[in-house]
Amino acid sequence: MATTASAPPATPQLKGVQPLRAGEGNSFLWRRLHSLTGIVPIGAFLIEHIVSNFEVVNGPLAYAQQVKFLNGLPLVRVLEWGLIFIPLLYHALYGVFIAVRGRTNVNVYPWAGNWMYLSQRVTGLIAFAYILYHVLTQRFMGVSLPEHPGLAYAKVQFELLSHWYAIPVYVIAMIATCWHFAYGIWLFAAKWGITPGNVARRRFGWVCTIGGAVLCIMGLVSIFTVAYSRPYSPEDVMPAQYDNVVAPTVPPQQ
Amino acid sequence: MPTTIEVEIKRQNGPDGTGAVENFSIPYRPNMNITSLLGEIALNPVTKEGKATTPITYDSNCLEEICGSCAMLINGKARMACSALVDKMLEEGGGKIKLAPLSKFPVVRDLAVDRAVLFENLKKVKAWVPIDGTYDLGAGPKQAPQIQEERYPLSNCISCTICMEVCPQFNDVTNFVGAATIGQAKLFNMDPSGSVLKEERLRALSGDGGVQECGFAQNCVQACPKGLPLTEAISDIGRDVFVQKVKDFFRA
Ligand code: HEM
Ligand code: SF4
Ligand code: FES
Repeated sequence: MATTASAPPATPQLKGVQPLRAGEGNSFLWRRLHSLTGIVPIGAFLIEHIVSNFEVVNGPLAYAQQVKFLNGLPLVRVLEWGLIFIPLLYHALYGVFIAVRGRTNVNVYPWAGNWMYLSQRVTGLIAFAYILYHVLTQRFMGVSLPEHPGLAYAKVQFELLSHWYAIPVYVIAMIATCWHFAYGIWLFAAKWGITPGNVARRRFGWVCTIGGAVLCIMGLVSIFTVAYSRPYSPEDVMPAQYDNVVAPTVPPQQ
Repeated sequence: MPTTIEVEIKRQNGPDGTGAVENFSIPYRPNMNITSLLGEIALNPVTKEGKATTPITYDSNCLEEICGSCAMLINGKARMACSALVDKMLEEGGGKIKLAPLSKFPVVRDLAVDRAVLFENLKKVKAWVPIDGTYDLGAGPKQAPQIQEERYPLSNCISCTICMEVCPQFNDVTNFVGAATIGQAKLFNMDPSGSVLKEERLRALSGDGGVQECGFAQNCVQACPKGLPLTEAISDIGRDVFVQKVKDFFRA
């Protein structure tokens, strides 16, 4: 009687592309996390950011109030790091890792989906470069807006007008980022099996296109409004309340 | 009407041999395909310059796009040699046809490549119905017509590897499994008998190089000679693998 089970046939050593490492490794988790972070929190933040900045059309005071409101959220610095900077850094760095591992071939197969594949990588890299510049100059350099929200309008206007390249860079980055996010939502739905069928994917493509276009137009309107609709003024439209201003606690005597 | 067919072929005399390009000038006949063109060269293996050479090595069998063995780069694009028509390819190539082996598989010789990785991948995901035949199991369970209709197109895969060749994610850095294997995993997951291995297939496809490496460039559906609904399979399997991972996480 045979007592030892025969070993399963060994995988032969192959040259070139290696077979699937069935069930091994954690790349599924990291890749799905990358996909999810693109939607929440980063995508959700992108919408919030463009909608908030659209307040510039209502003038410096309205914009200042929006900035003040956001900075008044509970645990705002924790929210900022936990829901924006860290997920964004992860998505961006893992995104670069994904991008360099692909072998794009639109020169041979110039099909729409293949171009979109390439565009997702190019717009991601543009967004990454821009976001570094944007966060550095608007958040970490110059006057601190969490402390002086009244200067928000002036600061953004100054940044846009003081370098010849600023407006072109902002416009290109706005288009690239909205493109990346819009197609990203479409990719997310396709990869997570929300839109498996061709018809569902085509219809959802329209939804993403329209959503992305609306976001992009709002963003572009904000850029040109803040830059050109008013002459530059360095005045703080919402000066800080002084500590020694005390509200009366006792009703005045009749 | 051209009098000759100009062919440029990338050759290699063995797995480790060096590449060389040879040109051929074949008398024109209408209605040829690339396999008959290669047959024509084999009848008289002399280059355009008049130098005697060896016949071109290539894989082919059925000559009717059903065995899947004759995939190669024709005018730079991955296609089946037996269903690629010379007249069309001449027109596309401006009077010249260029042949080369698939670029992502190790060359055996000339246009013949080793596509064993697909076979290994199909084994990794157990793309079969497990009936080991020690006794008669009787008739298999009935399949609803809706299931049959969804499965039939996936059963048309001829393992040609074109979907893998054209995929930007299928390369020796990601070692992505490729669309064909994912399609076959869905085919057998939907089989009433084959579905006993469904969880194993899904776990296999969550490994490194699994379904997550897909970047949805969708070249596979564009290029597949048999028109398999590959993006739909990838989307469905992507969801199923995720659900399986969540289940395993809470069950473990
Ligand atoms: C403005 C911030 C960003 C947002 C809102 C965003 C959003 C998204 C979304 C929703 C996806 C789809 C997820 C998926 O593929 O399943 C995605 C994919 C991707 N993102 Fe981003 N992203 C942003 C920034 C970046 C940056 C800075 C990079 C860095 C290069 C990047 C690289 C990528 C890449 C390579 C993919 C494609 C992954 C694939 O096709 O497999 N993204 N992004
Ligand atoms: S899915 Fe299509 S392209 Fe891929 S191996 Fe099968 S028949 Fe060929
Ligand atoms: S020879 Fe069989 S598919 Fe071309």
